[in-house]
Amino acid sequence: MVTEEKKKELLAKLRNAVIQYDEDTSKEASQEALDVGMEANDAIFNGLVSGMVEVGKMFEAQEYFVPELLMCADALYAGLDILKPHVKQLDLGVKGSVVIGTVEGDVHDIGKNIVKMMFDVAGFTVYDLGRDVPLDKFVAEQLRTDSDLVCLSAMMTTTMTGMKKVIDDLRAKNPNVKIMIGGAPVSQDVADKYGADGYAKDATNALKDAINMIESLKKMKDEVEAKKKG
Amino acid sequence: MKTSLRKELLDHGATVVGFAGLRGYLSGEIAHLDRAVSIGVDRRLNEDTLKLLVKLQKRAARFLKARGHRTLVIPPDSDRKKDTFISKLYSLFNHKMAATSAGLGWIGKNGLLISPDYGPRLSLATVLTDASLRPDVPIEHCLCGQCMLCMEHCPSKAITGLEWSRSSPFVELVRLGECRSHKTSKRQTAGKPNCGLCINICPYGRIKAEGEKLGR
Repeated sequence: MVTEEKKKELLAKLRNAVIQYDEDTSKEASQEALDVGMEANDAIFNGLVSGMVEVGKMFEAQEYFVPELLMCADALYAGLDILKPHVKQLDLGVKGSVVIGTVEGDVHDIGKNIVKMMFDVAGFTVYDLGRDVPLDKFVAEQLRTDSDLVCLSAMMTTTMTGMKKVIDDLRAKNPNVKIMIGGAPVSQDVADKYGADGYAKDATNALKDAINMIESLKKMKDEVEAKKKG
Repeated sequence: MKTSLRKELLDHGATVVGFAGLRGYLSGEIAHLDRAVSIGVDRRLNEDTLKLLVKLQKRAARFLKARGHRTLVIPPDSDRKKDTFISKLYSLFNHKMAATSAGLGWIGKNGLLISPDYGPRLSLATVLTDASLRPDVPIEHCLCGQCMLCMEHCPSKAITGLEWSRSSPFVELVRLGECRSHKTSKRQTAGKPNCGLCINICPYGRIKAEGEKLGR
């Protein structure tokens, strides 16, 4: 059994590796965490993700800029790749599978990738269609995988209009699916008008929203566990 | 700090190290990291050059981070993993621009960085940082002079013979389409797109390179 002290040290190391965008340390600490028998979930949420939450705050405070944000995300993934195979299935009470992509005509996928990362972290099964995705493909993929969440991203006003078509098609085929949209030109108004369930303004907000989402998932998980015990 | 960083990199296998101030040359996303450490390694057609460059970059980044500075490691052009987040930003940056700004050489008629000592035989990598390293003296113009060897020997006649200068960086030195189609046509014999005559023929650094080949 791993001592409290060692655990604390490793969590701090994981957290700092993400904040300091140090891929090597992230890998090293992740492996070490597994070696000493720490829970992979614990290492991910209280180590890597806790680091990313701090990065989100630094980004908001304009202490970190886009390059640092991206490097931190890379460092997080470096550790996640090692820890993920050891994650025990989370009992969140939600079926985690999501289709995500940047709509046809648009090749800007940084924001989409960051949102995708957060879903990965949360233990969702992510079907990433990539960028410049033909509109029909979202619908086809949703039906194929029976995902309950579809995320659409666009950075340009010209491609944003494609989202409306996807949403209409999705609703026609499957009224229960939840749809999130995001990207620079998207606003709450647009989300309402297009009939989307959720919206994130840009990479920063997507990150923030995704973190909020993960934290609320964590809370739900804790409550479920508390109930079990109680 | 500059001297000790340079020494550390040279001690660990760098052929040349220069420091550049890049204010005004960088796109918005990376403009806050306006100093560059430009690292060149004499490639000697050696497979290990890439590994060495990557190692040197990590060393430089560690050195600067340990002193509380920020870094952005831009890997060599031939070692860019496409699947990382940060790789989206690599295309905003040009190693040769940093190298000329750091005074390591100029852009020759063959479109490559020409170092006075090693010619076009250097592989480059850059570490951007916000540390206030005093920049070295940049090189502003092409110093190839009358030499036209690379143009004369280019099998695809892709080299235009025009000269680079910092004030006109967008002059077309090499017709890339022609260069590329020639390289691709060599794929069958070499196994990958290949040419490099304009590197071999360049008099700068050639004597040194040939001498080493002969074991002198």
